[in-house]
Amino acid sequence: MNAEPQAIAEDTMPAFSSEPTLEVIGVSITYGSDAGGLKAVRDVSFRIAPGEAYGLIGESGSGKSSLAYAVLRHVPAGRVTGRIMLRGQDVMEMSPQALAAARGRIVSMVYQDPMSALNPAIKVGEQIAEVVRRHRKADRKAAWARAVTLLGQVQLPHPDEIAHRYPHQLSGGQQQRVVIAMGLACDPDLLVMDEPTTGLDVTTEAVILDLVNDLRRALGVAVLFISHNMGVVAQVCDRVGVLYAGQLVEEGSTAQVLRAPRHPYTIGLMNALPTINRAQARLADIPGRLPDLRQVPEACVFAPRCASVQKGCTTAIPALETVGPGHRTRCFERDRIVRAMAPPAEAEAVAEEATGKPLLQIVGVERSFGRMPRLNLPFLRQRRPVRAVDDVTLDIPRGRTLAVVGESGSGKSTLARCVAGLLPPNAGDILLEDSVIRPMVQNRTRPEQRAIQFIFQNPDAALNPHWTVEAIVGRPLKLHGLAHWSADLRARVVELLDAVKLGQRYLDRYPHQLSGGEKQRVSIARAFAAEPRLVICDEPTSALDISVQAAILNQLRDLQERHGTSYLFISHDLGVVRHIAHRVAIMRHGRIVESGTPAEVFGAPQHPYTQALIAAIPTLERKRRGAEPDTTRIMA
Amino acid sequence: MALALPFPALQRRLGVGDFACIGFLLLMIILIAFGTQIAPRDPLAFDPMHSLEAPSAAFPFGTDEFGRDLFSRVIAGTQPTLLVALAAAALGVLFGTATGLVAGYLGGAVDETIMRVMDTLMSFPGLILAMLVVVMLGPAPMNVVAAIGLVFWPRSARLVRSVVLDLATREFIDSARSRGESRLFILTRELLPNVLMIIVVDFSLRVTSAILLSASLAYLGIGVTPPTPAWGLMVRDGQQFIELAWWLPVFPSLAIAVVSVGTVLVGERLRRSIAMPGGDRAR
Repeated sequence: MNAEPQAIAEDTMPAFSSEPTLEVIGVSITYGSDAGGLKAVRDVSFRIAPGEAYGLIGESGSGKSSLAYAVLRHVPAGRVTGRIMLRGQDVMEMSPQALAAARGRIVSMVYQDPMSALNPAIKVGEQIAEVVRRHRKADRKAAWARAVTLLGQVQLPHPDEIAHRYPHQLSGGQQQRVVIAMGLACDPDLLVMDEPTTGLDVTTEAVILDLVNDLRRALGVAVLFISHNMGVVAQVCDRVGVLYAGQLVEEGSTAQVLRAPRHPYTIGLMNALPTINRAQARLADIPGRLPDLRQVPEACVFAPRCASVQKGCTTAIPALETVGPGHRTRCFERDRIVRAMAPPAEAEAVAEEATGKPLLQIVGVERSFGRMPRLNLPFLRQRRPVRAVDDVTLDIPRGRTLAVVGESGSGKSTLARCVAGLLPPNAGDILLEDSVIRPMVQNRTRPEQRAIQFIFQNPDAALNPHWTVEAIVGRPLKLHGLAHWSADLRARVVELLDAVKLGQRYLDRYPHQLSGGEKQRVSIARAFAAEPRLVICDEPTSALDISVQAAILNQLRDLQERHGTSYLFISHDLGVVRHIAHRVAIMRHGRIVESGTPAEVFGAPQHPYTQALIAAIPTLERKRRGAEPDTTRIMA
Repeated sequence: MALALPFPALQRRLGVGDFACIGFLLLMIILIAFGTQIAPRDPLAFDPMHSLEAPSAAFPFGTDEFGRDLFSRVIAGTQPTLLVALAAAALGVLFGTATGLVAGYLGGAVDETIMRVMDTLMSFPGLILAMLVVVMLGPAPMNVVAAIGLVFWPRSARLVRSVVLDLATREFIDSARSRGESRLFILTRELLPNVLMIIVVDFSLRVTSAILLSASLAYLGIGVTPPTPAWGLMVRDGQQFIELAWWLPVFPSLAIAVVSVGTVLVGERLRRSIAMPGGDRAR
């Protein structure tokens, strides 16, 4: 376990004589007017040696994307102070011509969403060839040939054929490979990758990460890898910087930062990360929220949220100090912090076996989309109906959590919507406490409507933007006659908000005045206002930062313990599921392929798909595929 | 307390342009309410001694063939022109909103039926449809209002429907459905506040085209009868004298132009200022 990080450090140990590919020196980025401007990035310095992969980890608002954009000068030069040196040239001083040449030849970027990075109306081969023609003065034929070679390099099968396809004819993972191929078109020295796998399924993600590693080995390209996911960064990067509120708070080799972190924020992130190896009693969340970046105090930015805060932390800004070879951290308490980092207590927290009769039964539920066309019309392509949910039978135990896990398109959300009565199933029954309930929610009785509540994935869309928090949380109370007098209603709403750790002061706020985590808490309060017996959680934390996710998951567990509520928990994240579920069902192509207790499913997965899913999770230990990479194939 | 102010973003600081718009609106309100009182002379009084006089200090816009003061007539004409336009725009937007909400939210056969009726209405050119209706119903301001309202109805309905189609897929609507809200509640309390600002902007732009449409009708001699000082009618009556007295068609035309451009600018400013802060972009 220890040999590997050293090996990584060896093959990419930066040769100090050589010029760094990228050197960021004291860079600050400010948005808006100078006085009250948003100081998104403050005094960040780091360097990337040729061929090195450097990971920037940060949650939303950390400034990681601003930095990535600044490297390509997509941020107006006036907003950036400090120097960004690409192979010794200052990006901010380059002439427009030099900049145009540098973009593509020295540095190029891979964006998060391949669908919006590719032009839907142009063949992918043509899109790559255009980049080649622009920078290389190659003729059409040569450029096309180069595009096909590149598509082969990113390990797309039959590249000459794929080149003729349009983006919509490719899967998400294939599209991202095309974007990477485009980034590599002119042999850049540095590839900036901004959350390149965030929209992808975990199995696709694993393949893309392997590809990035193979390409690095074969082409020697340096990588600036931006991600919020520490597991992903661990798979690719040699060195890691942790950004918090626009400041680099810790930097070192991947092994140093992710195995032996020396900054309280990094430690907090690690403890907040749900993993499938252990089911913790509670995830350690990081309380509080980001400081206001318009008025940054002359203090440690993390002090208000830090568990080991001392008096001195609020009066001066700590410097990045060395704590080990190449390992620096921005903390006054750095010598104490290392000792404070103890492995969290391992405890099998969730009682796994459910007893008694199930609360809700899903019996043979089926749902397809798309009808068989009644007429045979010319020019209309006949589409077969898609079976999103195919004969699913599941029990949800009383007061326990059933997690349904699957990748995108597995039908897990459709199943949730069928149970909620938002979508009528084509066949099958849903039984609440042994009695069949009507398929559509509007036809169910009031007590049945009350019994099942829904928490949605996207906190931005789940709350009516024109309602106050009080109106949102109070509505189910009014609807179900749980509070009659307005004073009574207000008191109940405050009680519900207190239960999700939002106070009375939130009553009159509108959703756009809340952070993502706060919105999700309002959603939870709304769901629990009706005193439900089953709450359907459809990916309730997938849009949230890791530290917020931990807090929300703890919240859900507390509420379950207090009220004895059952959960139908839909997720793609096995780590989250391991933490919250009493029973797990793995779903693929609309079918349940495996189900059981978490210990059974994660400990000894039976179905090959489950095994593949578990193997694909990016963990903090770097995985290596089989034997040595086959470089000849990559060079094509 | 339950529902939001429709325009949280209006709380920003006001600039010069905003004050210009507010001033313009105030001026229009004063002219509509007190036009006849403000007018220096009686807009209907004949004065044969001063017929067809060129603009002068006494008669800033000149006089017409009967010696009526054109300046007073233009001021007095604000009320018949603008009231009809406002009422017609309100009527069209009101019906359009109701139809658009129902069609967009219920979907399916209801949507199909409603929207095909709307398409049929829309397939008539606006002016011709309005003419038809007024000719059928007879010349009265209320009938002009009904006719223009009918022209606007399908256009507003389409707009509101397209917005509702997008809103209806949002999760807060699913949330309302799953807690067992009635359709009426979802339409009026969940959806309506979210389309309100689009309706307001739509209304302000409809007023502009209602001014033009009612002026066109008046110009064609439909809907208003002399001696009402409606601007469109004044242009029509004045154009026969264009070689003798250019001011007769020019000043009412200018009034139409100034007021319609003014309302467009106000509507545009309104549209820009009531975009939800952070609300609609983050999805």
